Amino acid sequence: FGQIQARFFIPPGGGANFFIGSWVEYISGKVFFTTCSDLNMLKKLKSAERLFLLIKKQFPLNVSSVSKGKIFNEMQRLVNDDPESWLSAISIWKNLLELDAKEDKLSQRDANPLKRKVEENDIINPKKLKTKQMQELQESRECQLEKQTDEATVEQGDFLTNREKSQEAFQNDAVKAVAAPNQKDLTFRVSCRCSGSVAKTFTAQEVGRVIGIALMKQFGWKADLRNPNLEIFIHLNDIYSVVGIPVFRVPLASRAYIKTAGLRSTIAWAMASLAEIKAGAFVLDPMCGLGTILLEAAKEWPDVYYVGADVSDSQLLGACDNLKAAGLQDKIELLKVSVIELPLPSESVDIIISDIPFGKKKKYSCRLPFFVRVLRVGGTIVLLLSEDHHRRLQDCERGGIPWNSKGSHTDEPGIEKCLNPGEKTDLSDTVSSSAETSGQGDLDKMPPFGSLVPVDRYGVSLGRTGAFICRYRKSPSSAASRLAAVSRFQSSQGSCTALKAVVSGSR
Amino acid sequence: MKLLTHNLPSSHVQGVGPRGFPLHLQATEVRINPMEFNPDSLACMIPKVEWAVLLEAADTLHLVEVPKGLTEGYDHDEKFLRQMHHVLLEEDVLEGTLQCPESGHLFPISRRIPNMLLSDEETET
Repeated sequence: FGQIQARFFIPPGGGANFFIGSWVEYISGKVFFTTCSDLNMLKKLKSAERLFLLIKKQFPLNVSSVSKGKIFNEMQRLVNDDPESWLSAISIWKNLLELDAKEDKLSQRDANPLKRKVEENDIINPKKLKTKQMQELQESRECQLEKQTDEATVEQGDFLTNREKSQEAFQNDAVKAVAAPNQKDLTFRVSCRCSGSVAKTFTAQEVGRVIGIALMKQFGWKADLRNPNLEIFIHLNDIYSVVGIPVFRVPLASRAYIKTAGLRSTIAWAMASLAEIKAGAFVLDPMCGLGTILLEAAKEWPDVYYVGADVSDSQLLGACDNLKAAGLQDKIELLKVSVIELPLPSESVDIIISDIPFGKKKKYSCRLPFFVRVLRVGGTIVLLLSEDHHRRLQDCERGGIPWNSKGSHTDEPGIEKCLNPGEKTDLSDTVSSSAETSGQGDLDKMPPFGSLVPVDRYGVSLGRTGAFICRYRKSPSSAASRLAAVSRFQSSQGSCTALKAVVSGSR
Repeated sequence: MKLLTHNLPSSHVQGVGPRGFPLHLQATEVRINPMEFNPDSLACMIPKVEWAVLLEAADTLHLVEVPKGLTEGYDHDEKFLRQMHHVLLEEDVLEGTLQCPESGHLFPISRRIPNMLLSDEETET
């Protein structure tokens, strides 16, 4: 496998696509791909929530007019039709773990693994990856077995200095896998997810039970609900039936280097990636909270000047902790300052990335113009916007404001004023290097929002809610003409698309 | 707070405007953080530096070996770059204050973080 170049890409309409060095399929939030990579590479996947080794992927179960008993038979066939595929998948899984265990011994281990905060990240719609290794089976196995252990050490670098429990759990996996030479001695547990029409007919427990029993009968394995060797994951929905083995105990989205995550790390990484950060850039997060976005960015693009700002002491303390835990406290400067009073010279910042706080308060989207001032012309802004915020901004872009008339004041008069395109062309002259405040009368002085040109936008899922990652560029031209431009966003459905891709390991 | 960061902020205390820059630095606790030397990204940042501000701050911290300004071909001058690297990125003020030159208002720096929040009365209208 050697050096492979990876680019993360989120298509409009949702989901998170990942480009890898061979044919990739993207279906409804899951990305299926084939790869030769070892676990170290795979661990570095930043945009995926979880990773599975694929055992089976096939047409969905037909639950419509058939009896329950018949459908159970169908499920059993997932196990019984082709037991070889199960055994070879498990064999690959064991190989992966053994290789990784060997590399582990050569790496440095933290005596005190970080305590991981259990997140409510076990969401309804996680994005997952599956490693599909079918014909590539033989080749990939050879790839792995031929791999030199010293190659592995070179790549370890500082990624592994903050080891945590997952690595130890991992070691245990490997030990168990190796220690069960006869596949008959494997213990297993089945986790099941059902959605769509399948979910209306069966509970996840029922399905789990059927599969579990089939596995016991077919392979002689024993079920162990607490601490199994092998986890089997099944997802049944209207589009496919998928069976896989989770590759890592801890979801990929749990980063070893982030102690307390605010924003979901996959989204944070995606935003940083879209911002096209280059060496020597000045990157600002004016509402950094716990610093998740800056952490993801600094981890991947270290030769950059990062500044985070927040008004909250507790958030900044948390951010400090996170930075220390990740060893990045020297890379990211923190300021206790309000976004509306950013004490930065105009046009000094190259890139702004921010997660705009959700919630009904319009005041947050109202603060956007303040960012714009400090951004240089040609600079990029990447924002995470709730559906509400996004809709408001879209309305502004199209030039039609569904607010009250100019004279009246709603709870946030600033919104109308700052986002109303035609009005404020005289403002640009009044902007000086000092910042403005949020007093009511001062909203008149806000710089025009209109110099931001939308570039693209991507829908993402945050579990229970959705949001948009929106990218803008600051243009030098006047406000009004820009806002009159029609929105160029594509709208595509997240249907099945085959994509060719190129994978890269991150640094 | 690094000296590179100090180079940026201006005070927004009422009535001060552009004269609110630079903020005078006083440091009671400073630490040196060794950082990886990266000449390329440094060369990007250097043109943006306000030299007078940097020199004053470096002086406050009693730094020696501080370049006095940009010279031609600076981006290939390794000695220059290394000195700048140290001054801008490796000197870290843990505790201290930033003072507005016009109004005298003091912004504290605590645990590396400058607190530039103002109470409502003092912000500019």
